[in-house]
Amino acid sequence: MVAQVLDGDAEAFGIIIRRYEPGLLRFATRMLGSPDAAADAVAESLVRAYRHLAQCRDPEHLKSWLYRITGNRCRSHIGRRYMSDIALDDAPPLADPVDTWAVLERGEQVALVERALAALQPEKREAFVLKHVEGLSYEEMADVTGARIPTLKMRVHRAREALLLALKELV
Amino acid sequence: MTAIDPRVQEALDGERDPTTLPAELREAYARLTAAAALLREPPATSVAERVMAQIRREGPAPRPRANWLLRPVTFRLRPVWTLAVAAAAAAVVFLPFKESATPGAEEGVAQFVGHFPGARSVEVVGSFNDWQRGALALRDEDHDGIWHGAVVLPAGQHEYMFVVDGERWVADPLAGRYVDDGFGAGQQNALLIVRP
Repeated sequence: MVAQVLDGDAEAFGIIIRRYEPGLLRFATRMLGSPDAAADAVAESLVRAYRHLAQCRDPEHLKSWLYRITGNRCRSHIGRRYMSDIALDDAPPLADPVDTWAVLERGEQVALVERALAALQPEKREAFVLKHVEGLSYEEMADVTGARIPTLKMRVHRAREALLLALKELV
Repeated sequence: MTAIDPRVQEALDGERDPTTLPAELREAYARLTAAAALLREPPATSVAERVMAQIRREGPAPRPRANWLLRPVTFRLRPVWTLAVAAAAAAVVFLPFKESATPGAEEGVAQFVGHFPGARSVEVVGSFNDWQRGALALRDEDHDGIWHGAVVLPAGQHEYMFVVDGERWVADPLAGRYVDDGFGAGQQNALLIVRP
């Protein structure tokens, strides 16, 4: 498919978009806490990927390459906007403290988890999302982030601890 | 911060069967897997239309660069220096090239030298080998951390990176010239200019 696009078939890029867009949008949304900001980041990333497709270092790793570009765009957005300013404005009010996790509505559960995720440092948030939301292997995560696998494992472990603690405090 | 029992971490990493976790550890496992599942909701939006509209305006995707055929080049070989080049110079100069490495009329020999003490492997990937790993491995016969290798390349301009231990991408710190890697994070590829 990459070769087809590089041979001048721009429409073939639409197939690449359809295949990877849902994951990229979800990744960016979890990184930025805002669907609108995520859509902008993913759109910019896909256009950039198209422009630089000839530099895709290994077409078999296209997925990792696209996540890498999107992750870079997200970091750039995060640098410009303070994460909590985005996420918390959109979040619904916290549930009544007497509620337990089990009785919360699904929407409330999502909002609480999003809030806990937003409180993580960006690199831990990224590691958790790539591992547990996007289901990437540590090898793929290393391709995406450029970080070493032991570093990524440590980030994921720390993210889990922080997330679990935050969820306990919230519910 | 509350530490999570290592057995829970192992289960979450897929290294342990979660059903073998003691009952008191299962709540943490269940809470985190449930949280991740909530975050997996598919996005309701799509940017496909606006992206396709943009790339249709831009036209065909740029192909790999070949404009080196049209412009003069000013350097014979790059990179041939590093912090350790003095120590490595003799080894590099007398590097035994393969017979197939004899340059043609429009080719030149690029020599790569990098100082990576403790590295288990160092290879070079670049625009000249489609950024494919495994095509150009550097050697450190003396185990002194100075890795070197050479390859015949078409005359012109090439971007490249070192890949250390198979996972760490490093721009040659002393390449002298760099170009943006195009991924938007301000990272750069080293630039190599080969003259016939």
